[in-house]
Amino acid sequence: MALSKDELKAAILEKALNGPKAQLYVKDFYACDPEAGPRDVKNAANDLVKEGKMDFWSSGSTTMYAAKGRAKDEEHR
Amino acid sequence: MPKHDTPLLDELEKGPWPSFVTDLKRQAEKKPECFDILGQLELSFRDKITHWKHGGIVGVFGYGGGIVGRYSDVPERFPGVAHFHTVRLNQPSSKFYSSAKLRDICNLWEKYGSGMTNMHGSTGDLVLLGTTTPNLEPLFYELTHNLNQDLGGSGSNLRTPECCLGRARCEWGCYDTQDLCHTLTMHYQDEIHRPAFPYKFKFKFSGCPNDCVAAIARSDFAVIGTWRDDIRIDQAAVQGYIKGEFIPNAGAHSGKDWGKFDIKKEVLDLCPTECMWMEGDTLKIDNSECTRCMHCINVMPRALRPGAKQGATICVGAKAPILDGAQFATMTIPFIEVKKNEDGEFAEVVEVIEKIWDWWMEVGKNRERVGETIMRVGLPTFLKVMEVTPTPQHVKEPRSNPYVFWQEDEVEGGFERDVKEFRKRNAQ
Repeated sequence: MALSKDELKAAILEKALNGPKAQLYVKDFYACDPEAGPRDVKNAANDLVKEGKMDFWSSGSTTMYAAKGRAKDEEHR
Repeated sequence: MPKHDTPLLDELEKGPWPSFVTDLKRQAEKKPECFDILGQLELSFRDKITHWKHGGIVGVFGYGGGIVGRYSDVPERFPGVAHFHTVRLNQPSSKFYSSAKLRDICNLWEKYGSGMTNMHGSTGDLVLLGTTTPNLEPLFYELTHNLNQDLGGSGSNLRTPECCLGRARCEWGCYDTQDLCHTLTMHYQDEIHRPAFPYKFKFKFSGCPNDCVAAIARSDFAVIGTWRDDIRIDQAAVQGYIKGEFIPNAGAHSGKDWGKFDIKKEVLDLCPTECMWMEGDTLKIDNSECTRCMHCINVMPRALRPGAKQGATICVGAKAPILDGAQFATMTIPFIEVKKNEDGEFAEVVEVIEKIWDWWMEVGKNRERVGETIMRVGLPTFLKVMEVTPTPQHVKEPRSNPYVFWQEDEVEGGFERDVKEFRKRNAQ
């Protein structure tokens, strides 16, 4: 891992907040630190959900991540 | 909520079978939103399109699975099902639970949901159908605090592991499926409750090759019991079947008179590898050719039993037909002993699982099941990742491509060579 865990979380949150896509797959965050393992990225993204900064968006079969407030429920589409 | 006219659904009550329409009408007496389920389904039958939409950020705090958001796309007509989320509960291993536990779950679901259930979902979960977003957290609190009951998996998570009855009730269990299922469920709590993968991943555990949970067809990681020595034969019992003292198939097909049991017709000639024969009164089996179809054991359970050196075969990559059609799992590890270490973990099985995950998390595309990744990169690459030496059983068909693509480490001197020196001898 080139980044510390906190730096990785900050990079993930930045991408989720300001990237072009509102909802992202966990693999979309791999580029935040190409040297980090998939588990490190997954754990960092899941920590951000626990901290209330991101949400899980799930279709039922797939799960994506979104910065708090950026994802929309199907109810509102 | 008003009752809706449902002439098309009413037709479904006219056959000789139990009807979910009747069940819903009965439930609607207590839960009026069930009238709206019937109304919306009638509309779907007329429009020939679903009026459900699914997906969203519904869930309980800290969990990324277990609840599937579901909404009506005509909520103004059917307000009772405007929200109609599905909740998946992790079923106990082999679905062993008491009637009291089921009653408690049903009572809780009457309190917080529609009262409708699906027993069981494809992955084995107890599926509770239909609740609203505000009810999710109180339901989850009572489930976990009062009923000691957790949610199952959904989304890009490890799905709720499932196992057959195993040694609890079946004499053919070649390993303790319940123990493996429960231990791995506890070991992988984080993967069940929070997304970890490019797509869903399913474990299924069958104690013998009869594969009662259809692991080979429906799981990304199928652990199927097997044995590596000879089928155990009780020759006296074989004679008992031939003489008609025992009912074949343990009486499973006894509703019809099939005539006298004929071991040649019903067992020997049906062996797919033709590895059985009679020498006088003695049944012989060429065990090296046995393909573990279980037919002979199923027909003569008193006479034949799986061998004594037991373990499991691990197959990887089954899936349903979203992309490229349905696919069976591919045999990857021919035999593994399924035993706990001193820490109470199935370390050898865990090592295989994590080798697959580490590779798939890196190489798998978004929404690509591990079986699809294997198809895309090729089985030889996957076997190399798994550090498995290919066996003849891995070959689907003889190769039609005459070229052999050597790896550098298989060629003496590697790919780096002195071309001038080579041409001195070979390119005159």
